[in-house]
Amino acid sequence: MALLEVKGVTKQFGGLTAVNNVDMEVQEGQIVGIIGPNGAGKTTLFSCIAGSHVPTKGSIKFNGTEIAGKRPYDICKLGVTRTFQVVKPFANKTVLYNTTVGAFAKTNRLDVAEEKAMEVLKLIDLYDKKDVPAKNLTLPERKRLELARALATEPKLLLLDEVMAGLRPSEVAEMLPVIRKINSVGVSIVIVEHIMQAIMNLSEQVYVINFGKKIAEGDPHKVVAEEEVIKAYLGDEYVANSH
Amino acid sequence: MKFLSNVPTTHKVFAALVLAVLYALPLFVTSPVMLQIFILIFFYAYLTSSWNFVGGFAGVLPLGHSAFVGLGAYTSTLLYLTYNISPWIGMIAGGIVAAAFGLLIGLPTLKLRGAYFALATIAFAEGLRVLVENIEKLGSFEVRGPKGLLINLVGNSFRDFQFLSKVPYYYIILTMLVLVLILTFFMMRSKVGYYLAAGGEEPEAAEALGIKVSKYKLIAMAISCFLTALGGTFYAQLVLYFYPKSIMGLDMSYEIAFIALIGGRSTILGPVLGAFLLRPVGELTRIYLGDTLPGLHLIIFGLVLIIVMRYQPRGLVEPVSKWLTAIFDRIENRRRA
Repeated sequence: MALLEVKGVTKQFGGLTAVNNVDMEVQEGQIVGIIGPNGAGKTTLFSCIAGSHVPTKGSIKFNGTEIAGKRPYDICKLGVTRTFQVVKPFANKTVLYNTTVGAFAKTNRLDVAEEKAMEVLKLIDLYDKKDVPAKNLTLPERKRLELARALATEPKLLLLDEVMAGLRPSEVAEMLPVIRKINSVGVSIVIVEHIMQAIMNLSEQVYVINFGKKIAEGDPHKVVAEEEVIKAYLGDEYVANSH
Repeated sequence: MKFLSNVPTTHKVFAALVLAVLYALPLFVTSPVMLQIFILIFFYAYLTSSWNFVGGFAGVLPLGHSAFVGLGAYTSTLLYLTYNISPWIGMIAGGIVAAAFGLLIGLPTLKLRGAYFALATIAFAEGLRVLVENIEKLGSFEVRGPKGLLINLVGNSFRDFQFLSKVPYYYIILTMLVLVLILTFFMMRSKVGYYLAAGGEEPEAAEALGIKVSKYKLIAMAISCFLTALGGTFYAQLVLYFYPKSIMGLDMSYEIAFIALIGGRSTILGPVLGAFLLRPVGELTRIYLGDTLPGLHLIIFGLVLIIVMRYQPRGLVEPVSKWLTAIFDRIENRRRA
């Protein structure tokens, strides 16, 4: 059984269909990428899985449990945690405080939660900043804090929404091993990303979405060679010329 | 004690010293007027600390907390006058009534953000006041509408929560204040405290981390209203006569919010600092200008608030604690040297 099973998910906002009948699967231990041009519906699909949106149609099963329409905090309790594209740290609180909030998902005791948080901060390479208020962090550090906080909830599946957007290439290069490290401790990952270098590097399986529809899926290196995908990214003309 | 392990020694010594001075104060200050001023400072510090659970830590701005002061005072006093139940028991009953009302209005309104929640709480408080003013009798309880309630004097009696001297009132409210501050201290270091802070600042992110924000806000609201109502009973027993406008008027709600904002919300000592700064101003203007310019203290508070928000948006407790910490560090260093 797949860890995450998305079947026929559709999300409409009034007359606009942002996600149209998308199927998707994540196996345990996998890193799965979702790519597509701006406005393709990646984040909407993502929000449906995380519970921020209720899908208009379709089913989303996590570990066999239907989660479509459940609230984010219930989905988190089941083991699915998301990060946000626009980072939302608790700005006046320290890095450790931020991460401890996440760790409270699995315990009621402050000392246990803080210990878990410090463990996560070490894994993410943010431990030396643990006493810095979140508002004083640089963007790459904030993105990592977003990761740390989500990871502290001990998810089985982590949903990463453009954790590398806005980073410089060198910073992206630093982020990749962090994500791989998270995966290696047994967390499956779905990653929405614009940066192709990152997706190609990380994921075993990608889904390409355009105008809310899935237009391709499979091995990332094969998928990017497909005509539909090139068209979606570069326009019809480019395909015509390349023949 | 493990939970105090990361509080520096100088802080502990300072806190113990302040407490010792405050508990010894009635031995030196015998003037009832002075004691009354201190009692009201502690009373407002207590109310604001109770308010802080929802107004500070849950990140919303309730502006109708006088309603819960009133509910506490009316519940305990009506139980006392009708069934001769000791106000100490009535106090707890008042707290429960207020917590129930708090949950009732919190349920639909705590989802509102910013000014909308503030407006909803003002509307509730004013609505309740007008309602009480129009009730003469509620079952077997004589509510007496706008005429208010008079508690007959029985002299010194702990059971009846009445004392001829100000000193017992001084100790009762000081102890209530210390207890609520200790509760605040523990709350801030608990899951509830972390979850409230997270939900107040970034509700969407908090929900993604497994926090049912609305549930924790309701918990905060219930605690806050319960504690506020206990203050109401204390006030009723202190003044022995009150009416809807005097005990559930909006100026009390506003004063609580002023004290919190000027002192510093979501801190332990902000409400205490705010009350020590503002209450004497309120008391002095009332004594000297009460007849000619009633309400002047609220105008002064407003001006102070504008200045504080401009220069210290998180309240005066921040610069004051920085300044104190600097002094403590110097003492600590000298001690080590």
